[in-house]
Amino acid sequence: MTSDRKGLLLLISLLVLLSSGCGTRQVVVEGRFPSPLMEPLPITLGVVYSDEFANHEFYDEAVGRNESDWLVRTGDAQVEFWNTLLGGMFERVVIIKDHDTLHAIDAPIDAVLIPYVEDLQYTIPLHTNIKVYEIWMRYRFRLVDVSSIHDHDNGDISYYPTESFADFQLSAYGKTPTAFLQSDEEAVNLAAVVALRDAGAHFATAFERVPEVATWLQTIEDKTRDQ
Amino acid sequence: MAVLISAIVVLTGCVNATVDEMTFLEPTEGIGDRSVVILGRRHAPDYETEFEFIECVGDHIRTGDPSITVIGERQFLDTLYPWFEPRTAPLRTEDIDTLLKEAPVAKELSALKLEYMVWIDGTTVETNSSGSMTCGVGPGGAGCFGFGTWGKASDYEATIWGLSDKAEVGRIAANTSGQSYMPAVVVPIPIIAPVQGTACDSLGDQLLKYLSAQY
Repeated sequence: MTSDRKGLLLLISLLVLLSSGCGTRQVVVEGRFPSPLMEPLPITLGVVYSDEFANHEFYDEAVGRNESDWLVRTGDAQVEFWNTLLGGMFERVVIIKDHDTLHAIDAPIDAVLIPYVEDLQYTIPLHTNIKVYEIWMRYRFRLVDVSSIHDHDNGDISYYPTESFADFQLSAYGKTPTAFLQSDEEAVNLAAVVALRDAGAHFATAFERVPEVATWLQTIEDKTRDQ
Repeated sequence: MAVLISAIVVLTGCVNATVDEMTFLEPTEGIGDRSVVILGRRHAPDYETEFEFIECVGDHIRTGDPSITVIGERQFLDTLYPWFEPRTAPLRTEDIDTLLKEAPVAKELSALKLEYMVWIDGTTVETNSSGSMTCGVGPGGAGCFGFGTWGKASDYEATIWGLSDKAEVGRIAANTSGQSYMPAVVVPIPIIAPVQGTACDSLGDQLLKYLSAQY
């Protein structure tokens, strides 16, 4: 390779580097989630994590020259967190992934919970001039009878949202202040972990107060008493 | 050279501190084999009590009287999850009864032999900053020139809850402020005012007086 060519390649590499200075900043949310300290409800709960939920990510495109695109992947952390929380809240939890797991269920399931992340917003100090990183999430939960879960030839499962007997939303919020030697990515991750913990605290304390859920729990209690 | 380094190390700015204390039902023999947990309030939208500050106060008490069992905040929050999160944490002593109705919570608190819960609310903020500094690197070496100054203020209040009496048994407030300076003639010389550290020591000292039989 001639020195002219080498120089040209070096120049192109530098241009590529300069033009990609404000690339996408990516956060794969990771954290340690404690099990809830509560008396488990005497219920066998099925849980369906949709692909959208299990691979949940949030992408925000930069609007200014000094800003970066942000990609926040929360899917794995969501599944890990809700498995831990629900496992502590209910006597038995069955994860229903597909046709096979649906038909392998050996005990009667009282209901199936289907969580969704409806919205996720974040702010970093660059947006607000406040030295706080924030994450806000809105969840939607639907409870359906196990008979409302339909399986298909390709192994997938589905249900009709109209068949749910309880449908409720809850919000979660997490913030973390700026700290010395803490990167934006670390701070956004920490804010997401705080938001997940908040979601769990909200769910754990509000679940039995949702009117449709309270009626359903009462029905189960009455049925158990009659037996 | 060693003298210069030592002088730089011991240079600290001045801090003004005010401590207010109001406590009652003081345990005259200390807390014995019972334990205490120090927790930060984090439900305000615009600030949150720093985890590091809570850790500092806890360490101050442990160092001052090693016989006192101070439960680590993060360990406590994880063990008692989800009852002490910003959304669910008890805000008044009346909430203790509601919390103890949860059998696993009552059992865990009993296993921890928890006697006192200390809630610390507050934060440290930068109040002002001015000056400028320029640093450069050349073939002959590197150096800085200029002057910077910044002020900080800490404002913390500790509320002590006695779990046996299910009542508030004391309040201690510590307000500190100070100005830090950084003159630079080739080498920057930081003269830092330990504002938050002084607030931590002030609160820690008062809590030690309350909890320990040795003070």
